[in-house]
Amino acid sequence: MCANCGFPASPGHWTEAGIDERFDRIQSRYRRASLLRNVLRSHGLTAHDDASTPGITISTQTGNQEIAQDLSAVWEVAERMTGRPVDPLASQFICEEEDAGEAGPPRIEGMSG
Amino acid sequence: MHPESRIPLTLLGGFLGSGKTTWLRHQLHAGEMAQSLVIVNEAADVPVDDMLLSRSSEIRLLAGGCACCNGKDRLIALLREVCDERVDESFTGAQHTHLVLETSGLADPGPIVDAIRTDAVLMHHILVREIVVVVDALHGIAYLKSEPLGRSQVETADQLIITKADAVDDAALRQLSATLNVINPGAKLSATVMGSEVTLPEAGDADAVQLPAFNSSGSGANPVISTSIRLAGGTDWTAFGLWLSALLHARGDDVVRVKGVIRTPSGRLLLQSVRKIVQSPEILPDSVTARKDENCIVFIGKGFKRRDLQMSLKRFAGLHCEGADVQDQREAT
Repeated sequence: MCANCGFPASPGHWTEAGIDERFDRIQSRYRRASLLRNVLRSHGLTAHDDASTPGITISTQTGNQEIAQDLSAVWEVAERMTGRPVDPLASQFICEEEDAGEAGPPRIEGMSG
Repeated sequence: MHPESRIPLTLLGGFLGSGKTTWLRHQLHAGEMAQSLVIVNEAADVPVDDMLLSRSSEIRLLAGGCACCNGKDRLIALLREVCDERVDESFTGAQHTHLVLETSGLADPGPIVDAIRTDAVLMHHILVREIVVVVDALHGIAYLKSEPLGRSQVETADQLIITKADAVDDAALRQLSATLNVINPGAKLSATVMGSEVTLPEAGDADAVQLPAFNSSGSGANPVISTSIRLAGGTDWTAFGLWLSALLHARGDDVVRVKGVIRTPSGRLLLQSVRKIVQSPEILPDSVTARKDENCIVFIGKGFKRRDLQMSLKRFAGLHCEGADVQDQREAT
């Protein structure tokens, strides 16, 4: 149980299975947050992970925030906040134009959670 | 995660009359799965399969409802009961090392596996180790052509076993093997007669049967494809996991099966999913001979093409694929 946010310890998400070393895990969480920000930007959302407390904070441009426990929860939260799923096979991600995936609102940093 | 502390479960599926119980009975007779608790699910109210499985350590019956739909709650309750017994020190019954769930011929293994892997209790006690699907050599092609459920069962399998192999000639076996390989190229394929393994004839140049496409109503034009991609060297496991988790969330009903071995910081990781649920990945031995399949991921489903996956990996996650040695292996049109 995290003393700060009350999230119980999770049995581990499958995406975390390939990383055993503590330093690698921290590095992976920062990398994951960076990738998430790039993807969620086109949906008007941002992601923040301080790599010390459990969960990833997903924020809207209007300040609405929710903590997602793992990546599966991130996509559920994002869909709930925007009303549409983040779909890797959406046209913006599979079309040929080089700038197609960059469309969307400007990046907004979320608050720590 | 400590998957080794969970009890492994083998899910046995296959279309009506395809030989599930016969295969399982032989495994029990031969001493395989001797310490297993066998759970038999029959959609009919009057079960018979449990009577054929007297060599098992223990049988529990789930009759009068299919475990993938109207009998799912009862299955979960039964499995929770088994889990309770495992941790109850006062329980005096047999302790089992393995669970075998024989599904009804009307069951789609996918929703059952989903239900087990997402249940708050079962996910900590049960490891779905393998989906074994048997296919009738005599009638297999017919139901693969006409029954969306029969094809869905084959798509979700880790291991495909052709039963009644002595009922057809070698040419028919080769054609069935080629067809199964097209539907689910990642599954291990073998053949049996009355549960005993027999040698499959070499595939040779046998052509797969052209199967009609099904839509949600059972027939139509949205084809199921099997395709594979090979990630370029130095794969970023974090980025791939992020991409795949998003893909399965958004398209998990269409991406029926994903399987492959990926190089991660912890070693070679066996990755498998059935629809939206990913099995707890296992680290594989780092043998040299197995490395040819590393970072090659098989996708089975509909509504996407190999090019879409490659482009999406690049634009969504910044990952690149090797293009020369990957091909769409199947399109059911």
